[in-house]
Amino acid sequence: MSVMPRDRRLFQLHHPWAWIGWGSTAALLVLGIVLGFVVLSPAQQNEPALGPWSAICRALGLTADTAPAGAPQPPLRTPSRVAWTSATLAQIAGGNSEHGAFIAGSCTACHGEQGVSQSGQFPTLAGIDAGITYKQLDDFRAGKREWGAMNGIAQALSAQDSADVAAYFASRTGGLLPIKGESFRSGHTLRETNPAIRLAFAGDPLRGIPPCAACHGPAAAKLGAPPLARQHAAYIERQLAAFSQGSRQNDINQQMRVIAKQLTPDEMRAIAEFYGRAANEQTAGAVAPALSDSRLTPGGGVAIQRR
Amino acid sequence: MANARRLALFHYWVAFGLFLPAVLLGAWQMLMRSPLPAPLDDPDAYYASVTLHGTAMAYAVTTFFAMGFGYAVVATSLDRALRGAMAAWIGFAVCIAGTVMATATVLAGQATVLYTFYPPLLASPWYYFGAFLLIGGSMVWVVLMVVNMAAWKRDNPGRPVPLAMFAITAAAFLWAWAAAGVLIELAGILLPRAFGWGDLIDAALGRTLFSVTLHAIVYFWLMPAYIGFYTLLPQAAGGRLYSDTMGRLTFIMFLVFSLPVGMHHLFADPEHGSGFKFLQSFLTFLVVLPTLLTVFSIAATLEIAGRLRGGRGLFGWIAALPWSEPMVLAVGLSLVMLGLGGFGGLINMSYAMNMMIHNTSWVTAHFHLIFGGAVVIMYFAIAYEMWPRITSKPLRSKHLACVQLWLWFWGMLITTIPWHIAGLMGQPRRVAIFDYSIPMVAQTGTLVIISVIGGFMLLLSAILLIVILVRSHFGERAIIAPLSYALAVNPPRRVPAALNSFALWNSIVLVMMVVAYGYPIGQFFFLRSHSVPAVEATSRSGSVK
Repeated sequence: MSVMPRDRRLFQLHHPWAWIGWGSTAALLVLGIVLGFVVLSPAQQNEPALGPWSAICRALGLTADTAPAGAPQPPLRTPSRVAWTSATLAQIAGGNSEHGAFIAGSCTACHGEQGVSQSGQFPTLAGIDAGITYKQLDDFRAGKREWGAMNGIAQALSAQDSADVAAYFASRTGGLLPIKGESFRSGHTLRETNPAIRLAFAGDPLRGIPPCAACHGPAAAKLGAPPLARQHAAYIERQLAAFSQGSRQNDINQQMRVIAKQLTPDEMRAIAEFYGRAANEQTAGAVAPALSDSRLTPGGGVAIQRR
Repeated sequence: MANARRLALFHYWVAFGLFLPAVLLGAWQMLMRSPLPAPLDDPDAYYASVTLHGTAMAYAVTTFFAMGFGYAVVATSLDRALRGAMAAWIGFAVCIAGTVMATATVLAGQATVLYTFYPPLLASPWYYFGAFLLIGGSMVWVVLMVVNMAAWKRDNPGRPVPLAMFAITAAAFLWAWAAAGVLIELAGILLPRAFGWGDLIDAALGRTLFSVTLHAIVYFWLMPAYIGFYTLLPQAAGGRLYSDTMGRLTFIMFLVFSLPVGMHHLFADPEHGSGFKFLQSFLTFLVVLPTLLTVFSIAATLEIAGRLRGGRGLFGWIAALPWSEPMVLAVGLSLVMLGLGGFGGLINMSYAMNMMIHNTSWVTAHFHLIFGGAVVIMYFAIAYEMWPRITSKPLRSKHLACVQLWLWFWGMLITTIPWHIAGLMGQPRRVAIFDYSIPMVAQTGTLVIISVIGGFMLLLSAILLIVILVRSHFGERAIIAPLSYALAVNPPRRVPAALNSFALWNSIVLVMMVVAYGYPIGQFFFLRSHSVPAVEATSRSGSVK
């Protein structure tokens, strides 16, 4: 056995192996590229009018021709102007809560002392993550969420004011329970008989409903999803109804509209009461006066048997 | 040479030592997914377990096995001492440190992102750092394989590198190319974010880089099995290798064709256009060439052995083969699973058909059949072949070894065939809990229970493997014929330089990678940013960080 002494000439094209290797590589790549970019990409589009250049751009992932030929476009509607970019997150993180406290003086009338609301009409703001308050204020300002007085109030605030007041409410204690990232309880909670607990911790896969807890805590938190425990049950129920009827549309990915449309009125009430009542049981002593209103929220619907 | 043997033995022990608990986790996961009651019925534990099972099987067991196999091949095929044994021990220590770090982080509940990472999911930095050390440490092995082959060529001018050494060096180059993707993802994207530098994570770029690794790694796992086919099987069957040149071509084609193809794991990803997805799908089909070449060569090799042993007629040679030899039996069973799994793979890599099975249990079943089945059963056979040679203690019972291989084979089929079907029925993968009270999900209940039975057969087989190895290890010393590699029927008189070195083939790989991945990766640096907030995925929290 011996090796042909041709090591050095492997890269010269008249060497047979180099010729075979490079030739077949080039042939395969050219064939693949022609098929992928020139032959298949126009065929993939249903529009016969798509020119070869646009087709190649699409195959590259560049959508230079965003408008389908001739089709009338519905008016563009975005659910929110807020996007969770670095710049937004940096502005929220830099909120000045002292200046926020000054602004918050005008919130007291509805949202209560220190952001702990006394009425089911108005949500408790104390303990809400700053990003959420910031986004809601921007949505009110831009008309993406509508609620009478709030639209006017938000228009009087600058983006920095929103960040400041958001920082102030985030730092208040005695309101909502901040999401701490506790573990899910063990067990197949899908087998839970109480519908509110099942929906909160396991969702309903058949209807495509994820568990509330996956975004709103206690197990996990998603940017933009507020904590629910200790919020007024009447307020939660009203928001679910608003999402389901489409009168509230500022959830960026439509997740709340999709979920709420699947819920029955009884389920909405049960979930709202579950979060509202969970608060009452845990905090019977310390913050009882602040929550007295929610405890008085008329019951009905599904009773909570066990937690 | 003693040093190389001890290295091989230590690597094998780590590989199989991790293998058994990882199989146990797998069996529990199967139970957890089923309608049957499972101990520790907890979704968080499930994802931690899947992460541990994947990390152990995909990174640790395979890398340690391939490294140990490589050191053994250097010592036995080149018939001289390993160069750089000290570096090899250091690499071994780094890999051990990485494995311990990653395992401890998962056990502490700080990483449930699965071994494929899936950014924007985010785990504790120590998990990523452990994976980085484990994969990075194996680069020492890559360098040593290349150095040893080059040194041998220098000292033996004009002689062809033995096929086994040539093949393991191809595996080393393949692993270096493949690992580059995950190492860059870890060092450039995941570790900086996990240590808290910056808010966002470029999930799309991370997934693209991982795709460079994700398919080629499969062929890295496969390489020891194929080396066993070409160099260890012919003796065990009592014959000779059909063709040495076909072996070299096979390993070269694996090196070239397994790399520019990973994007067929990203068919449903929005960050890439259809053109490059198609191109890589097209290139993936070329992997069929070395596979079919191997099936042909190995069938011919077995036929030669069968006829030498007196087999007659069209199929008589099959019955004449020594099926009580673990190596021969393992190759037979491996080829059956490779055939079934290979056809499944053709569906996965097809741009259009992939959509039917994307993210379903079909995919999980597919890679268990082809890797856990066709490849791992060859790891067993290689262990049975090499252990006695390293320790000078013969295998106590070949019969028991064959029982273990049969049990693994049937266990794997019983696990994966219903699993494939469940996937076709739409069962999603990476799901901890199925609600079997839903009629659509209930249809898959029986299938999953059958898979559970298969899973426990696999566990039994894995226990049997360890029992056989430990029993042999503490057995009597005996003189055993040294390991020798197969000679071809017609040993080649001249080997072209191109089939004796990797310079040409590595250059071709480079060009193919630039064409196939240059734009898909480059676009992230001049098109709009794909960065998104990271989502912490540990069992304690799932918060945006």
